[in-house]
Amino acid sequence: MPTATDVYTAIADPTRRRILDLLAEDGRSVTELAEPFEMSRPAVSQHLRVLREAGLVSEQRAGRQRIYRLAPDGLREVDLWLGSYRRFWQTKLAALGEYLEATRDED
Amino acid sequence: MRTESAIRTETFYPHPATRVWRGLTDPVALAAWLMPNDFQPVLGHRFTFRTEPVPPYFDGIVHCEVVELDRPRSLAYTWRGMAGMDTMVRWELTTVTRDGVEGTLLVGVHSGFDLTDPAQLGGFRSMSGGWGGAMTTALDRVLATIEGEE
Repeated sequence: MPTATDVYTAIADPTRRRILDLLAEDGRSVTELAEPFEMSRPAVSQHLRVLREAGLVSEQRAGRQRIYRLAPDGLREVDLWLGSYRRFWQTKLAALGEYLEATRDED
Repeated sequence: MRTESAIRTETFYPHPATRVWRGLTDPVALAAWLMPNDFQPVLGHRFTFRTEPVPPYFDGIVHCEVVELDRPRSLAYTWRGMAGMDTMVRWELTTVTRDGVEGTLLVGVHSGFDLTDPAQLGGFRSMSGGWGGAMTTALDRVLATIEGEE
């Protein structure tokens, strides 16, 4: 299980955040990741290693290549966070409806 | 990112848009259904929503600024504070007829949830009890406190 510090360090770097954005679209090889960044392959590999250790990216062999993908559970906190707020607004918007109903005659 | 980063709600109210607008912009109405506040329908107005603090996660204050105001069609304000949170709430009102009843469709978008932002991630962590652990308890407690206000 990665520690919070791992993940924090991993995504604090702007290049690694852009790598995550690219991987969010589709799995890519190191070569495909190196192109848009105009970085050397070893430099990209170094970033990928940090992302893997943080549990944000998974690696899969495909013939001679390795394909990197966004790890499915890596960012599930976002869903938990949003879920809490979705419930919050649903409750509140129902309360707004009750308020509008209760004050109907005050116009 | 791959994950959704905004909450969108759609609510129909069988009331004219001007009444729903008042519910969204009258500080007394806002206090009744949302939270005590010092909102004013003025572009650039800075205000707060205040509720019971939940130490150590939440000081009970949401900091806001009106950034869009088009009566009675749209309203947006920033929603900042809870532990690194830097988000935006936007409301859009449209007059519609549903099942023969004329009323207002209120579309709400709460956007800007971004756990790739280290400050927001750190804030969420402190509220939710850590990576991979029992997640939502603290955050749910904070939001339940807000919900519990009358």
